[in-house]
Amino acid sequence: MLRGAFENLERLAGGLGTAFMALITLVAWILVGAACLLGVGLLLVPLMVAVTRSVAERERARLHRLGVEIVTPYLLPRERVPGDWRGAMRAARADLATMRDLRWLAVHATLGFLVGVLGVLMPVSALREITYPLWWNLLPKHMQTTNFSIPVTTWPAAIATSFVGFGVLIGLLWLLPRLARLQARPALALLAPHPSIDLSERVARLTETRAGALRAHAAELRRIERSLHDGAQNRLMAVVVTVAAAKRALARDPARAVHAMDRAQAAAEQALAELRGVVRGILPPILADRGLSGALDAVAAGCSVPCSLTVGGLGHMPLSVETTAYFTVAEALTNVSRHSGARRAEVEVARMGATLRIVVRDDGKGGAREESGSGLAGIRRRVEALDGTMALSSPEGGPTVIEVELPCES
Amino acid sequence: MRVVIAEDDALLREGLVLLLSGEGFDVVAAAGDPAAFLAAVGEHRPDVAVVDVRMPPTHTDEGIRAAVKAKRLHPELAVLVLSAYVEQAFATDLLAGGTAGIGYLLKERVGKVEEFLSALARVAEGGTAIDPDVVAQLFARRRDPLDRLTAREREVLALMAEGLGNVAIAERLVVSDGAVHKHIRSIFAKLDLTQSDRVDRRVAAVLHYLGV
Repeated sequence: MLRGAFENLERLAGGLGTAFMALITLVAWILVGAACLLGVGLLLVPLMVAVTRSVAERERARLHRLGVEIVTPYLLPRERVPGDWRGAMRAARADLATMRDLRWLAVHATLGFLVGVLGVLMPVSALREITYPLWWNLLPKHMQTTNFSIPVTTWPAAIATSFVGFGVLIGLLWLLPRLARLQARPALALLAPHPSIDLSERVARLTETRAGALRAHAAELRRIERSLHDGAQNRLMAVVVTVAAAKRALARDPARAVHAMDRAQAAAEQALAELRGVVRGILPPILADRGLSGALDAVAAGCSVPCSLTVGGLGHMPLSVETTAYFTVAEALTNVSRHSGARRAEVEVARMGATLRIVVRDDGKGGAREESGSGLAGIRRRVEALDGTMALSSPEGGPTVIEVELPCES
Repeated sequence: MRVVIAEDDALLREGLVLLLSGEGFDVVAAAGDPAAFLAAVGEHRPDVAVVDVRMPPTHTDEGIRAAVKAKRLHPELAVLVLSAYVEQAFATDLLAGGTAGIGYLLKERVGKVEEFLSALARVAEGGTAIDPDVVAQLFARRRDPLDRLTAREREVLALMAEGLGNVAIAERLVVSDGAVHKHIRSIFAKLDLTQSDRVDRRVAAVLHYLGV
């Protein structure tokens, strides 16, 4: 509680600092305003706008240090504000933030300054009153007064003053946070971007995330195209070619034709298997039926190596994240049962804020590598398509740990 | 006729071997990657090579590059490149060193065995075989000057670009040899091309005109 009081005192003192700067700037504005009446002051207006802006930036930085984020609202960054008078004036007029800075300056230079002075002086005077009995009779008679110049010249009165000081101090514990908030309020209201600008920023941000989603989508499409192209399409091409060969051989060499038909059938079966694989890669049917945690249960249960699965609260996640998470675990466990020689495996899937974290661990012989075409390379490709990260640790002798993090803002 | 096949997909490779050996070709080697293909060509000196565009390691245009290289090392070798989809840039790369003994066809044409075999034979004899879809792409890019031609003349031009000779064009369009001659004269006049009686020069001129 006492620490909180000190923090608030610090805030008020910091606010007093910026309020003092604001006060000087306000006085300068008044002088420039007066000079404007004579005509010459106008030349100084861009400079004053810049000074005001830098004072406002200081206030934003101060509040930022206190954990209050105020987005800089200016249309142009400082270095891109035109240097010439006309350009600077036009830029200042075009920017809604200029007028809002000025309004904040006026309020902070007066009210903010007053609140700051009050906030800093009151604890000091409370201390003076509390300690009054210790030193009151060392003072010359005419200076033996409390803060409000009330003469206190007897021991009982001095001790009573100390009690009053305590009372004031306790009152201050209540008052200081309110004063600090009051002092910061104009900045919160006026130094942030105007609500309409805030909206356009949000649009910009949405555009950005949408572009990211589209990129991931494009990567996904490329992956599907690739697996269709190199897989099913080639298989079907083989079917076409061998059927053609069989047809041509039918009359001349029936045995050869039968052999060709066998090959064609094998190729057609492989094409089907490839297509199933592609479909599963797009959206595993079990994921659609049972959701991520149910699907992971099934994968862990189906793993030939005993596998423990821990799934934290997942909440709602985009389907692309769920699919990739499922694919990661399925692929990693396939590797575990095929190559690792592990006796047991562990899978942890948990959501931490806007990140889904997946860890697959086994106690096998390690030495796993991300060769192209391997399951691990496939995991990385899919994870990175969603702007996620994948880390593989697999020293010779094991253990192997795969860590995947996927951003999952929904 | 001695053939080397370069195709990384095992089943498709097997299918091509089955088909060509059934048609009386002597398939001397079937390679799965560019390096093995070039080695086989050096070793067996085949008459013709059938090469898939997509091969390891990157599965993009390795087949084209291998074909160009093989052609440079062994100018007498005929090369027929198979592609899963039409990519006019591939044809351009392939034809940069000349049109003699070069073919570029979509993979699926292999299913039309007679046409495929006649294209293969044409290429093996030093002729040219360009896929109709590639020719259509080339036509689309030069629509303006080609508008001067009649519909029939455009048909004849397309078949010339595919690499067919007069007789084959006449057969395909079911017209007389003389009629084809007349169309070709008219086409060359309208497009300001110098006419040559040699089919290979004529194909080169036409493809060059079409911007390959």
